[in-house]
Amino acid sequence: MVQQHTSTEQLNATFAALADPTRRAILARLASGETSVSELAEPFEMSMPAISKHLKVLQRAGLIERGREAQWRPCRLAARPLKDASDWLEHYRQFWEEAFDRLEDYLRELQKSESKKKEHKNGRKK
Amino acid sequence: MAARSNTAAESTACELVVTRIFDAPRELMWKTLTVPEHLEHWWGPKGMTSRVHQLELRPGGAFLYSQRAPDGREMWGKWVYREIVAPERLVFVSSFTDEKGNLTRHPFEPNWPLEIQGTSTFAEDRGRTTVTVRMVPINATASEEQTFFDGSKFMEEGFAGTWDKLDKYLATL
Repeated sequence: MVQQHTSTEQLNATFAALADPTRRAILARLASGETSVSELAEPFEMSMPAISKHLKVLQRAGLIERGREAQWRPCRLAARPLKDASDWLEHYRQFWEEAFDRLEDYLRELQKSESKKKEHKNGRKK
Repeated sequence: MAARSNTAAESTACELVVTRIFDAPRELMWKTLTVPEHLEHWWGPKGMTSRVHQLELRPGGAFLYSQRAPDGREMWGKWVYREIVAPERLVFVSSFTDEKGNLTRHPFEPNWPLEIQGTSTFAEDRGRTTVTVRMVPINATASEEQTFFDGSKFMEEGFAGTWDKLDKYLATL
């Protein structure tokens, strides 16, 4: 139960962190490899403290990790939560796509029997 | 484009959009999504047998359903309607439930916690209807919900490109 609760909060935190464009850009940059904070800050017209704030949000959401080994403490993507969020969206899409496939079939059946019943009222156009 | 409304769908990075053009008039499409006898024929993934246990088409009313997989596993879920504008627009909050309609975790995937707000729109053009469902995860509290609704502008920023990049990366994991 506690475990599941953590997951709920994790997913919420992931989506909340992803809601900001700068943070998404940072994640996209990190997708091509770990990098230093100053390098990360370069493309943005933003102060270092502002960038640090975004990094903290991402770190709290578990989306990035900061290295301890090197002095420049590189940032890297922590993939698990992102993957969970992405799987979650994908699963939902799948659900609807399959239901819509079925709906298409059902409509065909429905319209076939409808047109038999009341041919003159059939407004279907091809 | 219409002026920005205060609905969530236009303004979050995390929305999911499923759209399909059906060869049927809008009135009929509306019925297939709101009448139990129709819903039982198609609602749910392939191979699932759906049953509608309750459907009260009014704001605050619920659509409670169950779906049985071929292996006998059964799951329950519900929509609570928020906005009903026949035959144009249907807004609901979707979640997994037990048989009594109490919210639960996803039965097969415990990592599936959130409620989803779905906004479906129906647009007819020469006898064919485009049905679009926009889904956003919503949180229980108003402030958390605000995070999504104030969230950045998905379309304007071309987040799709960013997401593609992430997708590719995720695929390598």
